[in-house]
Amino acid sequence: MDPTISVSKGCFVYKNGATRANKKTPSKRKRTEATSSLLGKEITTQPFYAAYTECWNQLHSHIVQLQMASNARTLEQLVEFVTGEGASNMDNTEMLPTAALLTGINQPDHLKQFETLTQRLHAEQAARVCVLQSRDCATLKAAVECMVYSLMDDQSELVDLEDADDERERDRKRLRRTQCTMKQLSAWYANNFGDVDKRRALVIILPDFECFNASVLQDFILILSAQTGRLPFVLVLGVATAMTAVHGTLPYHVSSKIKLRVFQTQPAPTGLNELLDQVLLSPKYAFHLSGKAFKFLTHIFLYYDFSIHGFIQGFKYCLMEHYFAGNAYALCTSYSQALGRIKQLTHDDMETIRRLPSFRPYVEQINDCKRIIAVLTDDDYLKKKLPQLLRDCLLHFMLFRCCLEFFTELVGDLPRCPLGKLRRELYVNCLNKPIQEQPEYKECWQMLSFMSKEEFVAKLAKCIDRTEQFLGEQIAPLELGEACADVMRAELQSLKKLLNDVELATMELPTPAIESTASTDARTLTDLKQVASRHELKAQLLQRSKQDKQQSTSEFARALNNILSHIETHLVLAHLRPLQHAPPLHELYVFSDISTVRRNIIGAPRAALHTALNNPHFYMQCKCCELQEQSQLVSTMPDLSVLYKLHLECGRMINLFDWLQAFRSVLRAGDDQEEVPQEQIDPQIQARFTRAVAELQFLGYIKMSKRKTDHATRLTW
Amino acid sequence: MERICAALEPQFPCRETVITTLSELIGDCNEGYPPAIYIYGHSGTGKTSLTKAFLQQCEQQQKVCTAQLNAVECYTTKILLENVLDALAQKEQQLGASPLRADNMLEFVEQLRRWHGSSARGFLIAIDNAERLRDMDANVLPVLLRLQQLTSLNLCVLLLSQLPFEKYYNKTGLSEVISLHLPQYNKAEALRILSSDFEQMRHQMLQQQQLTGDGPRLALCEQALTQEFYSNYLNLFLSVFYKACRDVPELRLTARKCFAIYMQPVLDGSVECTDVSRLWRHIAGPLRSALTQIYMRIEKPLGEPNIEDQSVRKLAQSLELPYYGKFLLIAAFLASHNSPKQDKRLFVKQHGKQRKRMQTVNARAKNAEKMSTTLGPKSFSIDRLLAIFYAILEEKVGLTCNLLSQISTLVHLKLLSFVSGEQNIMDGSAKLQCTVGLEFVIYIGKVVGFNVRQYLCDFM
Repeated sequence: MDPTISVSKGCFVYKNGATRANKKTPSKRKRTEATSSLLGKEITTQPFYAAYTECWNQLHSHIVQLQMASNARTLEQLVEFVTGEGASNMDNTEMLPTAALLTGINQPDHLKQFETLTQRLHAEQAARVCVLQSRDCATLKAAVECMVYSLMDDQSELVDLEDADDERERDRKRLRRTQCTMKQLSAWYANNFGDVDKRRALVIILPDFECFNASVLQDFILILSAQTGRLPFVLVLGVATAMTAVHGTLPYHVSSKIKLRVFQTQPAPTGLNELLDQVLLSPKYAFHLSGKAFKFLTHIFLYYDFSIHGFIQGFKYCLMEHYFAGNAYALCTSYSQALGRIKQLTHDDMETIRRLPSFRPYVEQINDCKRIIAVLTDDDYLKKKLPQLLRDCLLHFMLFRCCLEFFTELVGDLPRCPLGKLRRELYVNCLNKPIQEQPEYKECWQMLSFMSKEEFVAKLAKCIDRTEQFLGEQIAPLELGEACADVMRAELQSLKKLLNDVELATMELPTPAIESTASTDARTLTDLKQVASRHELKAQLLQRSKQDKQQSTSEFARALNNILSHIETHLVLAHLRPLQHAPPLHELYVFSDISTVRRNIIGAPRAALHTALNNPHFYMQCKCCELQEQSQLVSTMPDLSVLYKLHLECGRMINLFDWLQAFRSVLRAGDDQEEVPQEQIDPQIQARFTRAVAELQFLGYIKMSKRKTDHATRLTW
Repeated sequence: MERICAALEPQFPCRETVITTLSELIGDCNEGYPPAIYIYGHSGTGKTSLTKAFLQQCEQQQKVCTAQLNAVECYTTKILLENVLDALAQKEQQLGASPLRADNMLEFVEQLRRWHGSSARGFLIAIDNAERLRDMDANVLPVLLRLQQLTSLNLCVLLLSQLPFEKYYNKTGLSEVISLHLPQYNKAEALRILSSDFEQMRHQMLQQQQLTGDGPRLALCEQALTQEFYSNYLNLFLSVFYKACRDVPELRLTARKCFAIYMQPVLDGSVECTDVSRLWRHIAGPLRSALTQIYMRIEKPLGEPNIEDQSVRKLAQSLELPYYGKFLLIAAFLASHNSPKQDKRLFVKQHGKQRKRMQTVNARAKNAEKMSTTLGPKSFSIDRLLAIFYAILEEKVGLTCNLLSQISTLVHLKLLSFVSGEQNIMDGSAKLQCTVGLEFVIYIGKVVGFNVRQYLCDFM
């Protein structure tokens, strides 16, 4: 018999058996999605996409590795603290062990750090972890419920406790938010971890301490500390500013209940410098950022948000943009892989290569007419030429990087650091403009020539050492590394020789110069008599002083000049060339399209709204309202836009009636109707006006004034 | 009754009168309890621990059910009631019974009434931080005070708080309770309580020395550590701390911490243990620095430098803000401490010459003491903040999302705060306030090379 047939009318409740099945499916779907990309097959099979994924995967794993390494120390200490405190906290002192982690001001970035902490703690099976965000803790009730729920509902341990799975499933089903109280938690803890050997610390992480409501937090801490006798709580606070924030929020009767230990993490700018030096400027990767793009990304970081995660995403965007430009960019990989990819290039790709700006100088420097034609028209011929070109390019970037290493060591610690002291600053400086033309460069050179002998020798020796070390560690394992290292070693060898000269040089003035002074004095007197005009005299004196200086320079100074000019010609001018003078086809390796990136990763809502309202044609692409100039008013534009443009001409207060009149006259200008008496306004126009005003108000440009009747206040300036 | 007193008095020196009074009131479960007792006194005077020990004694020696709980933990009435029931029922019912439920006062009273025939002779309920009860449902406090009458059980409610009972009176009135005041310890009493630590300290020190395995030091330690030596130390200690803090547990903790430093020169053999004045010279500095950190409980791992030197300058320099973030903070400070009327004069290049009128000069002379930097921050709108930001920044920057999100970052860091209109930021009526001080901002300005004083009308 159907169970719903009954004498009385009624509702019949069935437990929905499908819930469990539903629960399983999304996870499966996720797994299948993860393997394929969001993009279709037609993109993922392209060579450029393969190159991109390979490059990004390499970079990404490198970045992750680096971040792990730099966070490792703090993390280690923190884990030790948590496990240590969790174990030792058996005595009934009501003191809540607390770790304050000074994270730095970008709070979203640090959530990740806490995630890794959570993972570590789970991996060691040392603790149950609950991350409490301030948005979940508006009231004390919500905070406690959220904490208890997530501590009891911690999924991560289900994997290794398969046998207890079913039991837990039942547990969770019974769990309702309102039932989550401390009482429940201690009962649960006694059930699961009651034995001494199974004890786990209960770690509660508040990642954004500053955002918490002070009174909620105080009560929360009081509750936790009251329970520490029964439940081994450990509190971890993520503090973005300084310890004063903690003491400012917690009054004495609360702060005396916690046992605070302070941990310091690496400051964000240091993290970024590390990232730039070791990953972005690494010679391992074929992809490079141009000076401007590089500066743009670091600028966002330093001037706006201090977000390393944001920086990495911006960099990734540049990478995508670079590879997406076409299959020709698939050549932007290591040399041997590029050789393989050359064969796959189609005619279109070759055309892309020919259209690169640096291709033209290359063609122009060929003086054989036939070869020029062959390069321009014959794909196969160009394909034969390509390996050599690519090799030149790659070598150039490697040499650039080596010289940068040398140069950084050379000018990085000069007083006042005219060119900047960090590798990234120098990189940007060198790539943007010819460095030898900058006044800062000249200043540096002057400072170097003023150095004492010991200082200079020591400095240069250090530079050479550093470069050699760099060659050995970073360049040598690479594919074209040997070729690069050979060139560089030769340079360094000649530098060493010159340095030896400097070392042996004496400070004494050359003796003949001293002897000759008497004779020159005599000569001066005789010479000066012959002078005709004052102008001539001046010129002669100048020349003579120059001569004197040249004569009086010591052996050391000459040797110093020698070595400096050698550095300038052989290292700086030869290798630290700006991007304009880089070898042909460098565009394949360097991303420089900064305007696209800027448009796409920096939102400018006000500017976008202004364009949309000021010039609707920009977005709508309609024929009717094309504007000759920005301030033009056309009746075919949307009402809102007309009203917006009219309001731009007003002052702070806008008279609604005047505004309406202006609006009407604009609309009528297009219609060319006969004159209507001033007083009578077409109700249709008035309705349109009212509606547009309401829309403008909704957009937040105006507000109805309360002080002055029939006036609106402008809210923007 | 006497047994309770005898058990408690050695535990709580200087509290003999209170213990006697309490035991007279609720010491015997065969007599009728008073309906409610209100115990008050400052923090650290032993209210909670005394009550706890007393209730334990009662429970052990007589057939009494007790419950002690903290009102802070009871953020809803239901939790309060169920916690009380749970604690009382622990002895009454065997394990395995379903937990008692009480959704409201009525059910609670009903549950209690069911225990009429039970073996318990009395019920004692102690509630810590009783001032919180005032903010709970309106019926909680009156019912608790009259619980004996409502349940007709031999039941007493003890309320513990730091406030005098006068603060509880409300419109409907409350029934009378017996008040019991725990006064603060005076200096002699504090000394007596702290010196009861001696045995433990001595034991600890000796153990420490044994662990290091240093023979002569151990002997020296054993010889020096006498009751007199310790009370000398406590005298010195209290002469510094007693003015600032009378919280005995806190004093005890700090005294323990500082004692090791006090012992150091004696153990090194550089100072005789009887030479009090030289010992004082050694300990005065550490004691004073410990005074600044009282209640803070910052633990330092060994070998790390003292980070407690928190002058404003260091703080401002250590705060890492992005470049524009710093300028936004400065702009917010300027907006908070200048009146909008002065903006034109301060930030526009050609603002025209200001006419000096006798009136304004007089007014200014009169208001000399009313500096706006000392009056505290005033609120400003986001538009004004941005206008000032663009005026003080030399370079041109676009008004981008990144820049706007800086404002909310500053709010998150509690450097700015919303005064009003947090919900309607969109219509421009939200008002912000800058929460940092002048000195802090001046240091921030120094970091970015901006002279803040130049743009404050107070310093013009």
